[in-house]
Amino acid sequence: MSILEEISGALQQGRAPKVKELVAQAIGEGLQPKAILEDGLIAGMTVIGEKFKINEVFVPEVLIAARAMNAGIAELKPHLSQDDMKAKGKIVIGTVKGDLHDIGKNLVKLMMEGRGLTVVDLGVDISAEEFVEAAVENEADIICCSALLTTTMGEMQNVVELRNSKGLDGKVKIMIGGAPITQVYCDHIGADGYTADAASAADMALAFCG
Amino acid sequence: MAIKPIRKKWKSEMTDRERFKAQMHYRPVDRCFNMEFGYWEENFTQWRIFRENGIKNNWQADAFFNFDRMETISGRLWLMPSFPHEVIEETESYRIVRNGDGLIAQENKLKSSIPHYIGSSVVTPDDWLKVKKEKLNPDNPERRFDSEDIEYLKEQHPPDRDYPLCIHCGSMIGKIRDMLTFEGLAYACFDYPEMVEDMVETCCRIVEDSLDMLLPHFDFDLASGWEDICFKNGPIVSVDFFEKVVMPRYKRIRKKLDEFGIDLWYTDCDGDVRPILPAMLEGGINCLFPFEVNGCAHPSVLFDEYGQQLRIMGGVDKMALGAGRKAIDDYLETLVPLVARGGYIPFCDHRCPPNVTEDDYLYYLDRKEELFGLK
Repeated sequence: MSILEEISGALQQGRAPKVKELVAQAIGEGLQPKAILEDGLIAGMTVIGEKFKINEVFVPEVLIAARAMNAGIAELKPHLSQDDMKAKGKIVIGTVKGDLHDIGKNLVKLMMEGRGLTVVDLGVDISAEEFVEAAVENEADIICCSALLTTTMGEMQNVVELRNSKGLDGKVKIMIGGAPITQVYCDHIGADGYTADAASAADMALAFCG
Repeated sequence: MAIKPIRKKWKSEMTDRERFKAQMHYRPVDRCFNMEFGYWEENFTQWRIFRENGIKNNWQADAFFNFDRMETISGRLWLMPSFPHEVIEETESYRIVRNGDGLIAQENKLKSSIPHYIGSSVVTPDDWLKVKKEKLNPDNPERRFDSEDIEYLKEQHPPDRDYPLCIHCGSMIGKIRDMLTFEGLAYACFDYPEMVEDMVETCCRIVEDSLDMLLPHFDFDLASGWEDICFKNGPIVSVDFFEKVVMPRYKRIRKKLDEFGIDLWYTDCDGDVRPILPAMLEGGINCLFPFEVNGCAHPSVLFDEYGQQLRIMGGVDKMALGAGRKAIDDYLETLVPLVARGGYIPFCDHRCPPNVTEDDYLYYLDRKEELFGLK
């Protein structure tokens, strides 16, 4: 087994100290930092995402794998060049106004970062104006809106309408998700994408940014 | 204040107790058991019928709508004493508090909802040992029921009662989630598995002790529990952990229930329970409540898979209730064969949210009576 496979495997098991140790070893052995990132860390997180989509693993496994990935990234970061760190796309993410529930949003963020996307986390209770302003300010490719409640999901339509009124509908995609959200609702409000789980959201975001 | 019902009790030829027991055991009934889970806090201020009739909580609402009666007796299962409630920060729209479970929680002042949990008082095994000693000690004498307590409860729930009586079996992992937070529980299962198992064992011992104190004195009709450990994408603990740590404790409780002839045991678990449902059934939980449709599936999907070993209470899609009368009609029609089959009691699949209009809600209650009441 190559050291990159070992990194990927340890990450999938959530073994943060081991991932950190293996990344340091790989750097010491002269492996390219970009290869460690892509073929070790991101590869491992991609496997976790695929298993999550088919219910082979659940949220606890995703959380500890993401923690291991962060440990590996921290070790690797000083060795990555600007070019190595060039993101595959930029996302602004938050829960919609009136909604404080961020577990789903945090999962999507972890999955997207695990796939090499840059995520600007706006936090919870974010208004349509704040989403759109943050997208412009950060030159984001995608706005991701999360809602847990049937009573707050309507705010997503305001985000879509504000983006359109600013003439950004060709430039910034809007993805939505959360317990009450469906594809029918996504189509109804004119958002660009909905997925049923966090791993699929990362797939869709990569496709939008590709 | 006496509650003046706005609706007549559904016509009946059986008592609520006879009906509930027959319906959940696939025997003939006069009609469906009529119940609902309740309402969001906003409904009590936004719905005119609640406002104008002084209905301020779910207990009053049950009497107001004249639902069938079910009562529950619970042991002293939770933190004793709980953490002192304190407000840490407050703005116009939210407050940050330390709640009774020791969690730092951000609460929305403008909407009633599950709080946003920020931090926990239990992170390490040392934290847990302190809380266990001070607040979750199974041997705390205040958890005992003395003869006076038992006599009082017997007067409240006499043997010839006409409603089903439930014994509450608490939570094996839901309360632990409440103490650790969602993410905290996930990390703790990985970082401190022995600590989490000791937490589950402690919860189980407290429930077992309460069952020993209460079961001999009452003729219970069912048992209940509460976990809330699933969400839209499955459980918040790994299936392996649930099977190895939680399910064996369910079996211990099931054994005690069996000794007193209590065969029906539901647990309140939202979300997609399917990954852990086989372990729940093996552990002895055989009924799901309030069974969220959008977070899991239509109840017929689970009945098709599990047959008569599984019962369901709930399963009326709240999204349909909020989508107008045609959606309500269409959805209720899908439940007709399930009610006829038995082992199923329909009601809104969690507290009814305020985006459902009161007119549509009353229409839903009318339609329920037409479809599932006594013809």
